[in-house]
Amino acid sequence: MSGNPWSIRVMVLAGFAGMVDSGYVGFHSLTGLLIPCGPAGGCDQVLNSAYSHWGGLSIAWFGFAFYLAVTAAGIFGLSGFRQVFRFSLIASLAAFLVTLYLLYVQAFILQAFCDYCLISALLVFVILGAHLALRPWNRTRESA
Amino acid sequence: MPKTSSTRRRRSEARGKTAGRTNPSIAKPLAVLAAVVLVALGAAYYLQRSADDQAASAPAPSPQNADSPISPQGWSKGNSLAKAVLVEFVDFQCGACAAASSRMAKIASKYGSELKIVFKHHPMQRAHGNAMIAARAAEAAGLQFKFWEMHDLLLQRQHEWTKVPDAQTLFLRYAAELQLNLARFRRDLWTKEVGDKIYRDIMEGQMAQVRSVPAFFLNGKAIPNSRDEFEFEQRIVAGIRSLQ
Repeated sequence: MSGNPWSIRVMVLAGFAGMVDSGYVGFHSLTGLLIPCGPAGGCDQVLNSAYSHWGGLSIAWFGFAFYLAVTAAGIFGLSGFRQVFRFSLIASLAAFLVTLYLLYVQAFILQAFCDYCLISALLVFVILGAHLALRPWNRTRESA
Repeated sequence: MPKTSSTRRRRSEARGKTAGRTNPSIAKPLAVLAAVVLVALGAAYYLQRSADDQAASAPAPSPQNADSPISPQGWSKGNSLAKAVLVEFVDFQCGACAAASSRMAKIASKYGSELKIVFKHHPMQRAHGNAMIAARAAEAAGLQFKFWEMHDLLLQRQHEWTKVPDAQTLFLRYAAELQLNLARFRRDLWTKEVGDKIYRDIMEGQMAQVRSVPAFFLNGKAIPNSRDEFEFEQRIVAGIRSLQ
């Protein structure tokens, strides 16, 4: 796993953007106030639906934890701790599946989309793409 | 065989290289990570505060008196011209609110000629996932002049919808029972106007330091939600008498 530093940088940038995005939604969920919405227009409907909280906590905070983990993996990876990508790849695959489920919920159950959730979905796809470009499962590449 | 020995040699060289390489320090990436997380959290918090400040600058209804942030405007029962005003902050998903609703109905029927009872939304969204959509359902019904009918239905059948993942479907059924125009109800449910109205109530509640629901304000002053029905009634009677 010698190269592809661009994909690690992309991972860090996407992780940072994801922390801001999910943190913004998370802070809003703590105040209980309405969130300003962009072109998608369905933020209230999505973020106040029963799907928006897991165990009483806004799922934005779970997203924040994921982006934090990815950012940490990227920063440690840039410093030489490349083995962390194997763990962050698993987290990214799980986030990808959760994202697909949440997109399904928005499209077919709630029939409303939230801009912040769409941004988050895009970031998860970017992060997974960056991981696939890194190929952290390839041990021979790493030792070469 | 030669292939195997060359592979072994390569592995051995790789091990040697690894052994010669200094282990990367954990301190630097940890410090960078801490800084990045702090900046991200700071940015998210700043953006959220700015959005709230913008929304808070929207004109709010005027309060009943200069000392109280509570306005007497909103869905009301009783005598709309009465001097005594009882404002209740309600979360449709809160059990105590459902329990208090029958008490409020009694008070409305007993003191309705001398008292104006005003309803305000205070959905506790952190604890109650369906509270906001329930508030929206009541407001959407209100746009078709059936706020109180939907209010009663939501509180009476609270157990039916509190835990369901798709409360909207149930609320559409309630709207059908109330013979509302379903297309309009569905459309109104998620309009900005409905959201803004609930938001203004929430802001009022926050300014009045509402920490739990149901919360009651008689003539602008908070009164405790006493479990003793008689005691609660006596407070209201005293509030009515003080203004006569």
